[in-house]
Amino acid sequence: MKKILVVDDEENIRLLYKEELNDEGYQVEVAASAEEALEKIHSEKPDIITLDIKMPGMDGIELLDKLKKDNSNIPIILCSAYGRYKQDFRVWASNAYVVKSADLGELKVTIRDILKETSSN
Amino acid sequence: MVEDGHGFEILKEVMRIANSTLDLHETLDKIIQVIHSRMTIDASAIYLADEQGTHFHIMASSGLPVEVSRSIKLELGKGITGWVAREKKPVALVDAMQDPRFVHFPEIGEEKFNSMLSVPILKEDLCIGVINLHRIDKGNFTTPEISLLESIGNQVAGCIRNAMLYTKSQILLKEQTVLYEISQAVQTTLKLEQGIWTILSGITMGEAGGFNRAMLFTINDKANTLNGMMALGPDSPEEANRIWTELSQRSKERMQWIIQEADRKEYENSRLNQWVRSLQFPLRAGENILVDTVLLKNSYNIKDANNHPQVGEEFAREIGVNAFATVPLMAHKKVLGVILVDNRYNNKAIAEEQLRLLTRFATHAGWVIENARLFTRLLDTNSELLSTKEQLIQSEKLAALGEMSAEVAHEIKNPLVSIGGFARRLQEKIKSLPSYYQNGEPVQKVVSYSKIIVQEVDRLEKLLEDILFFSKTGTSHREECQLDELIQEAIYLFKTEMRNKNIQVHHSVEENLPSIFLDRQQVKQVLINLFYNAIDCMREGGDLTVAVFKTGHASGQEMISFSISDTGGGIPPDIFKNIFNPFFTTKNQGTGLGLSICRKIISEHSGTINIENNIGRGVTVYIHLSLKNSVKYYKS
Repeated sequence: MKKILVVDDEENIRLLYKEELNDEGYQVEVAASAEEALEKIHSEKPDIITLDIKMPGMDGIELLDKLKKDNSNIPIILCSAYGRYKQDFRVWASNAYVVKSADLGELKVTIRDILKETSSN
Repeated sequence: MVEDGHGFEILKEVMRIANSTLDLHETLDKIIQVIHSRMTIDASAIYLADEQGTHFHIMASSGLPVEVSRSIKLELGKGITGWVAREKKPVALVDAMQDPRFVHFPEIGEEKFNSMLSVPILKEDLCIGVINLHRIDKGNFTTPEISLLESIGNQVAGCIRNAMLYTKSQILLKEQTVLYEISQAVQTTLKLEQGIWTILSGITMGEAGGFNRAMLFTINDKANTLNGMMALGPDSPEEANRIWTELSQRSKERMQWIIQEADRKEYENSRLNQWVRSLQFPLRAGENILVDTVLLKNSYNIKDANNHPQVGEEFAREIGVNAFATVPLMAHKKVLGVILVDNRYNNKAIAEEQLRLLTRFATHAGWVIENARLFTRLLDTNSELLSTKEQLIQSEKLAALGEMSAEVAHEIKNPLVSIGGFARRLQEKIKSLPSYYQNGEPVQKVVSYSKIIVQEVDRLEKLLEDILFFSKTGTSHREECQLDELIQEAIYLFKTEMRNKNIQVHHSVEENLPSIFLDRQQVKQVLINLFYNAIDCMREGGDLTVAVFKTGHASGQEMISFSISDTGGGIPPDIFKNIFNPFFTTKNQGTGLGLSICRKIISEHSGTINIENNIGRGVTVYIHLSLKNSVKYYKS
């Protein structure tokens, strides 16, 4: 079973993602901040991370930067309430960018595709 | 008989009279009186030549019936007096009537006079008059008498010269006064119509211009026509008389009257004004005399309109007079229009002196028109500035609003995702509830309630997307596109203009160029600005060369570039250094933001813009965009 780490500062979003992704057959871990995420990455070794951008403290893009610098190979999907970060060239280091929506269809498809790609490599 | 000493006394007396007054008639009358009383004669007369020097009139006389003698008009060369005038020699006759040159004027009863002395009044080489002495007795005039009369003749010549100078200076003074009054009056108004009316009044006012009618035409630059603007003058001889009488009665407070009158705008209803305002002529050489006046910047004093080659048949018929004059209206060496004057009602010939005065009025009119034009332009610019300022404030407000709505939208988005997301879960969960619940009414309701929540959240999400797209932070919208497609779309917009200006397009694209991520609208804006500049500088046609190609950057990364070259002669160095400055422009209609917007957009796309200026040849603009923007780069 693939393990997903959901990083988001909003509790309800974390709960929503966790339940939906559980239903999809993934094991889901959550982190409420970038700092907590770093710990969870270390302890849980997830196969993929969904990462919110706008968070208090270290934000999602900074966390992405740090992980890339540390040569992490874990695929990262950036999730944001809106698309304006798409123009920030730093987001290009992520594997995908998904604009948050009540309809999680796009996110689920993206996760599946990336996991398929990485496991085939 | 005149003794030597006596003759000297008479001459002294004449000189005293000559120097005592400037009024010519008075002087001549007094001189005649002296001659009559001090020399033993029975009649005397002073003839003066008219302006043309062809006819002579009696200006002062003694011993002749006054009323009748004033009406005598003597032709040069006719009779003894005419002979003296022509030959410029004195003649003394014992029996004048026996002389073959004698011409009899029965109305003055000359036949009773037998001996006659006639001397010419000479001004330089010109005979300007004759003095005649008559005696009833047949007898010789003595040599002292002849030389005395010649000396008196010289004195009279001096008087006439003085009187002419005086009259001339009086006229000049009047001209100056009227011109001064007009310019004062004109300065009291910035209203074009009022100023023009005042000037036309000056032209048609009795003492200075004194023309019967004056018409003013101005150039319409846009339509390239000469249009009638205003005309002043009576519609009939009766009205002319009434106006002249009124004007002469108002000589003192004339200017106040004119200024008040200008306000009343009564002239607008005159037939003449309405006719002139209906006139419009194309500014084409040879159209008619008005257009020629404007195009050739010449004044014309037309004496025979029907047979003048420049007047134009139709215009000659419509103007209804055979003699008129035109002068161009000038300001700052630029022709603004033309003034036409005529003497329709008194048929007076237009003298060159009058034309000179008219030219001065025309200069004033030129200033009035120019001032009014500048004033209007000032008002326009002012209102333009105000509206630009309002626009700026407006766009600042919009920007602030945009930022705020982006912020609000973001804050709303997260809870919305939760609401919508859980509503969807609810829908799913209900499906998996035990089947006996599904037939019950409450379950149906829960299904439809959660469906409503899901639909409404979808609607809100769509709404937020739209708000973010339009708000400032959301405007940049990048998508995958082929640079060349954008270039073709932009060129297409200028197709007609380039064809009209005879500009050839040369377009080359390197094969297999990757597509890149760009904001289509913004990059298209850059292209439009650059094409606009290139086409604008090639007024006489030329070549527009567009190339798209891959380049290697110094840092080793690949760039996708395009260049736009024109053959418009390049940019002068002092202008070139300013071209990226916001609000700097060489165009009449431009904000000066074009190139600075280009630079901003390109740098937001992590690109660079360079301009190569070849003075005498043209300008090439290079734009380099990093291939980091390419889709491939992003994916790999």
